[in-house]
Amino acid sequence: MLQVMRIVKIFFSSILFLYLFISCNVEKADLTQKVVIGISADLETINPIYSFSVDEGVIDETLFLSLVQFEWNDKIGDVDAKPMLATSWEWAPDSSYVIFNLRDDVFWSDGKKFSADDVIYTFDIYSDPKVQSRFYGSFKNLYTDYDNHIDLKKSFEVLSPLKIKINFIPNSVPSLLDVVFPIIPKHVFENIKRENITTSEINFKPVTNGAYKLKKWDRNQMVVLKADRKSFLYQQGMIDVIIFKIVPDYNSRLVQLQKDEIDFCELVKPIDIKDLKKSKNLIIESVKGREYDYIGLNNIDMKSYSDNKVIKKNNLFGSTKVRQALAYAINRNEILTDYLNNYGELAITPISSIFKLYFDDTLEPIEYSPDLARKILKDDGWKDIDNDGILEKNNLKFTFTLYIPSGNPLREFAGTIIKNNLKAVGVDMNLEKLELGAFLDNLYNKKMDAWMASWYIQVPLELKIFWYSDLQNTPLNFVSYQNKEADKIMDAFSKRLTQEEKINNYKKFQNIILNEPPVIFLYWTDDIVVHNKKIKNLKVDPFGALQKLWEWRIEY
Amino acid sequence: MKKELLVAILKRISTSLIVIFLLITFIFILLRLAPGDPTQKFLSPQLSPQLASRVAESFNLDKPVLSQYFSFVKNLFTGDFGYSYNYRQPVLSVIKDYFLFTLLFSTISFFIQLIISYNLVKISFRKTGGTIDKSLSKLSLILFATPSFVLGLILVYIFSVQLDLLPTSGLKSIFHDDFSFTGKIWDYVLHLILPLITLSLAGIAVFYSYLRDSVEEIFNKSFIVNLKAGGYSDREIFVKHILPNAARPLISVAGIEFGILLSGALITEVIFSLPGMGRLTVNAIFNRDFPLVIGCSFIAGVMMILSNLIADLIKIKIDKRLLKDLLQ
Repeated sequence: MLQVMRIVKIFFSSILFLYLFISCNVEKADLTQKVVIGISADLETINPIYSFSVDEGVIDETLFLSLVQFEWNDKIGDVDAKPMLATSWEWAPDSSYVIFNLRDDVFWSDGKKFSADDVIYTFDIYSDPKVQSRFYGSFKNLYTDYDNHIDLKKSFEVLSPLKIKINFIPNSVPSLLDVVFPIIPKHVFENIKRENITTSEINFKPVTNGAYKLKKWDRNQMVVLKADRKSFLYQQGMIDVIIFKIVPDYNSRLVQLQKDEIDFCELVKPIDIKDLKKSKNLIIESVKGREYDYIGLNNIDMKSYSDNKVIKKNNLFGSTKVRQALAYAINRNEILTDYLNNYGELAITPISSIFKLYFDDTLEPIEYSPDLARKILKDDGWKDIDNDGILEKNNLKFTFTLYIPSGNPLREFAGTIIKNNLKAVGVDMNLEKLELGAFLDNLYNKKMDAWMASWYIQVPLELKIFWYSDLQNTPLNFVSYQNKEADKIMDAFSKRLTQEEKINNYKKFQNIILNEPPVIFLYWTDDIVVHNKKIKNLKVDPFGALQKLWEWRIEY
Repeated sequence: MKKELLVAILKRISTSLIVIFLLITFIFILLRLAPGDPTQKFLSPQLSPQLASRVAESFNLDKPVLSQYFSFVKNLFTGDFGYSYNYRQPVLSVIKDYFLFTLLFSTISFFIQLIISYNLVKISFRKTGGTIDKSLSKLSLILFATPSFVLGLILVYIFSVQLDLLPTSGLKSIFHDDFSFTGKIWDYVLHLILPLITLSLAGIAVFYSYLRDSVEEIFNKSFIVNLKAGGYSDREIFVKHILPNAARPLISVAGIEFGILLSGALITEVIFSLPGMGRLTVNAIFNRDFPLVIGCSFIAGVMMILSNLIADLIKIKIDKRLLKDLLQ
C-alpha cells in the first residue's frame, strides 16, 4: 500500500513540476500582426507553372500577380476584371488583339523590374510542351504551332517596355480569360533548362511580384508569407505575416480554431457548426453555389461503345423517363436538412443561382414524389412481374450498384437514404465504396454505370466540356450525354453573342437539361468557412474566402 | 568467434538484400496492377488532356510495364529511385527530411517504452500477485486495446483543450523563429510530449506483458530455487539471472517493434501533424506517386531488417549459443 502511495505521490509531483515548468518557460510572441490559416495538406509546389490545388492557387495569387484581377460582381452574378499588373487595356473593335498598358512600379522580390518581356516569357513557358505546365494546351485563341506551343512572333508585339499587344487568331472569340495567367520572372527562369524547371530549386524559393513573398516553407508544417513592403499593393495596416499551417486531422483543426491557434478554416462540416457557434471569437460564413453533388447514370451502353464504337442506349439509364423517375424517387430535401443542416440548396441544372443573369429562376426543382416516380416507371414498361418488390422489363431486373468514393460521410449518408428511397419504388440499389484513385480511374474509363460524385463549377460558366455530344473530345462527359439541341446552344457560346442572346441561350439550355436530365442533380453544397473575429475585410463570395489576402486587416 | 560473427552478419545482409529486392519488385508490380493513374490524380476541366499524355510520357508510364521495370531496376543499382511525381524532387531527397524526424521520434519513443516497461516489471515483480501487479496487468491490457487515435484525442482534450498545458499539434509553434535557442528546444519538447505518450503507451503495454510473463516463467525454474538456496540476493538473481533469460523474447519483439516504428507512425503523425514517414508513405499511395511509394517501402524494409539484425546481435551478446542459429 505504501508503494502505491509513493507512486501516486511521484505522479502528482511530476504533473505539478511539469505544469510549473511549462508555465514558466513558454515564451510569448507577438500575435497582433499574424494570421494563421489552417489547411489540410502540404503544398506540392509554390510555382504557378505547376501549382494546382486550391491552397496552392491561393498562395500563388498572393505571390504572383496577373495582368488583371478578376472579382465577383454579386449584382450581375458574373466576374469583373480589375487592373493589376496592367493599368488599362484596349480591345480592337473586332477583338483581333488587345493592348495592355503595364504598371511602372512593379518589382520582383529580388529587386529586378517587371516588364513586358516577363509577360511574353510567361506565355512561352506555359505553352512549352517540355515544361509540362498545368496551362499547357490552354491557348487555343492564340497562334500556336503543331505542338500547342505559342508562336511568340505572331502572338505578341512589344510596343514599349510597358506596353504589349496580344494578337488572336482570326474568327476566334477571345476574352481576358485567354491572357490572364500569373506572370513569372524571365530573368530567373531563363537560366534554367526548360526540361529541368519541373525539378528545379526555384519551385521552393520563388522570386515573386505579389503583395507577399515567401518567408519560409517547413515541409508538412507551415508555409509562411511575409508582406513585401516594396510591393505596389503594400499598404499601412496590411497583415505582416500570413501562415498556412498544415493540420491534416479535421478535428484538430476545429480544436485549434476554438483555441485561437488558427484563425481561419474552410470546408467545415455542418454537423460541427452548433459547437463552433458557442465560441464567441468565431464567425461562420459560407461560399455558395460552386459545388454540386449528382448521381451519374451512364446514358449509353459502354461495352457496345468501347468494343464497336456503336452508341446504344444503356439498358437501365438510357431512357430519359427512367432518369426522371429516379429523380422524383429521391428525397433530396431529407439529405439537405438532416446532413447539410440547410447549408446548400436543391440543384436543378448545372447552372447555379449565383449566376443571376443566366439562372432561370422560373424553373422549379424536382419534388420528392415516389408516386410520380412509380407512374413514370410503369409508363416506361417497368413492372414487378414476379412480385419480389423489384421492377422488371424485358426480363431485366432493375438492380444496379451505385459507387461512391470512400471517406466521404455526406455521400455515405446520402447513399443510404437513396438506397431506401429507390427500394420504395421497386429499384434495387447496392452501395459500394471505392478508394478515390480507383474511383477516378473507373470514372475516366467509364467502367461504372452509376456513381455519386460532385463537380466544382468554373467561373465564368463552362458547359461544353461536360455535356457536349462529341464523346471523343469531351472526356469529362462521363455519362455520355447526347442532345443535339443542347449542342447547338453550346456551340453558339463560342461565337460572338450579345448579352441578351447569351441569357436566352443559358435559359434554353437549363430547360433542355431539366426536361432531359443527363444525371440526377442533387444539391449545391456550401463551403462553410469559419474565421476569427479579428480578421476584417475578408470577402466571402463565389470566388471563395481566401482571396486578395493583402486587403485583410486585423482588429481586436 | 569474431570471424563467425562476421560471416553470420554478411550472410544475413546478403539474404536481406535479396528480400528487399523482391519486396520492391513486388510493390512495383502491385502498384502497376492497382487501379489509378498518377496523371489523373485531379479531376479537373482546367487541365488539358494533352498534358496528361505529356506527363505520362515523362514518367515513362506510356511504356510497357516490363520496360518500365527494367529501367527501374537499372536505376536502382545506381542508387537512383527516380523523382517523386508530386514533390518533383529526387525520392531519396524527399524521404531524407521525413526519415530524420521519424528516426529521432521513434528512437525516443522506443527507449521510453523499454525503460518504463522494465521499471514497471521490476515494481510489479517485487509484489507478485499484489495490487500493483494486478492493476498493471489490467492497465496494460486496456492501453494495448485502446486505439492510438482515441488515446491521442483524449490526451489533446485533457492537456491542450482543458488544461491548456501543451500544444495540440505540429512539431513546433508558429512563433518558433522568434524564440531564443533554449526557447526553441523547449518548443520542440512541448510539441513532442503528447505524440510521444500516444505512440509509446501501447508499446509499453506490449513490452510490459512480454517481460512480465517471461520473468514469471524464469522465476519458476528450478535453477532460481538453487540460486536462492545458495544465498544469492533477490536483486542479484533478478539482474544477473532472471533478466538476461527473460529478455530474449522481449528483444525479438523489440526488434520488430522498432522496425515498425521506423517505418512511420501514421495515426500519431496525422493527429499531431508531424512530418513522419507514415504520412509520407500513405500520401504517396493515395497520390499514386509510384517512385515515392517504392522509396518509402525500401526504407521501411531496410529498417525492419536492420532492427531485427541488431536485436539478434544483442541476443547473441547475451547468449553466445544463439550464434549457431544465426549462422544456420
